[in-house]
Amino acid sequence: MNYRKTISAVCVGVFFLAFIPVFLWAEDGPGKLVMKTIDSGLTVLKEPSLKGPEKTQERRQRLWEEISFIFNFEEMSMRALGQHWKKRTQEEKKEFVELFTNILKDAYIGKTDTYSGEKIVFLREKQDGGKYATVQTKIITNAGTEILVDYRMLNNDGKWTIYDVIIEGVSLVNNYRSQFHNILLKSSYEDLIQKIKEKQDKEETSSK
Amino acid sequence: MRKSVVVTFFFATVFFVVISWGENLSVLALAESSSEMGIYEKASDNNTINKDKEAGRTEPERAGSEETLFINTPVPEIPHDETARNVMTSGSDVTEKVEAEQSEPEPEMPYIYVKDPLEPFNRAMFTFNDKAFHYFFKPIYTGYNSMVPEKARVSVRNFYTNIKMPVRFFNCLFQANFKGAGTEMLRFVINSTVGVAGFFDPAKSKFHIEKQDRDFGQTLGKYKMESGTYFVWPFIGPSNTRDTIGLLGDGALNPITWISFFFLTPIESLGNYSYDTINDVSIDKGNTYESITKPAIDPYIALQDAYTQNRIKKIKESPDYNETID
Repeated sequence: MNYRKTISAVCVGVFFLAFIPVFLWAEDGPGKLVMKTIDSGLTVLKEPSLKGPEKTQERRQRLWEEISFIFNFEEMSMRALGQHWKKRTQEEKKEFVELFTNILKDAYIGKTDTYSGEKIVFLREKQDGGKYATVQTKIITNAGTEILVDYRMLNNDGKWTIYDVIIEGVSLVNNYRSQFHNILLKSSYEDLIQKIKEKQDKEETSSK
Repeated sequence: MRKSVVVTFFFATVFFVVISWGENLSVLALAESSSEMGIYEKASDNNTINKDKEAGRTEPERAGSEETLFINTPVPEIPHDETARNVMTSGSDVTEKVEAEQSEPEPEMPYIYVKDPLEPFNRAMFTFNDKAFHYFFKPIYTGYNSMVPEKARVSVRNFYTNIKMPVRFFNCLFQANFKGAGTEMLRFVINSTVGVAGFFDPAKSKFHIEKQDRDFGQTLGKYKMESGTYFVWPFIGPSNTRDTIGLLGDGALNPITWISFFFLTPIESLGNYSYDTINDVSIDKGNTYESITKPAIDPYIALQDAYTQNRIKKIKESPDYNETID
């Protein structure tokens, strides 16, 4: 009797256990996800052992590892090429995603070298039908200037990724799209790739 | 034996109901909090911002820990990529582009078409400005930065900002933003007296009254004036027909212009303007300009696009936008 009771109690216990993860593993909203990622990035920037110009490469690498997962580079590349994306072959698309990722990495990871205690504040998030979301944040510089930064996010089977960053109303992806579109109006896709590669070589030689 | 099974089953059912109910509840609560969340602030560094912010709100509601606070304010509409929707100008090659775009529908990806018939001239101007920035302004503000501490530079900026209050005040009035005009008037009174002739900004730091950045180009935009042709002016940088008229309008509203006109020689007034500009750039450290042009493949287009997008945002901004955000 008691034995059976124990067994049924254990069964019931296991039955309940199955429900616990529903609360504990509830998906983070896009706002929380962005702020967590920013925080982990800031931790790297504030890490005393990684300070100083001689540690630049190591710090950039660490920062990249912390934050890169949240960006959807394929979506960004697709949107940056716009109407020209569909005309590309699979290999070209793959190459382009790689190149564009590197552009963004160089440009924006490099910006963090001058980090000097700027604060990042969460303002609000807004979801659009569960598929898209906007997370609004604000950077406050030491001189008291406030910069609005919005993150546009896309829900990919429950995984939120950033596909655009909007700084003071200027969309990063749209900015590149205007540039790519203008180049492609006047010259070929090969020229565009050439220009991006040249830019990258210049970037690499100047940072070394 | 049967009894115990029945009892266990009964309790299991009860627990199941309770748990699923609780789950629903928590889901509901989550949904509510995310839709009504309004402002959930997280100071990433320390609590000073929170404290500042909190004091600045009319009805602060404190909840949770020191780090986190929830304030129930209605969430204003954030238009999804609508910033650029209604900027299309007609033109021969533009219509071509529109057709190409329509054949491949891409939701929430509007293009911004900039009318730029003077591109060769503008590109030359852009190169000139770029050189002027790197070889003239940058050395000047770098030297200035090393001599004058940031606090002093911010004070100088505050002083000029305070003097230029009529620009913002009248543009608020022109845009029928009477609350904004009142705010500007109040700021002027506080900063000119308590703020020692405007060198400090107690209106913001103590009373949390935000500056209302309004200019005449924005006013014209609000009255549905189109941006017109894109220009790059020497030293001033990117502009367009509407914003150039706006610059003239702001110049007329700017007391510095009047002071220059009546009391200063042209050289002195030029010095005055340049000092104001260089001081501004020195606080920004040219960051804005460089962060746009440096990572760009085509810096000219990058700056043109960034300028256009930023102006559209400023014109679209509702009068309450600043207040709900700051």
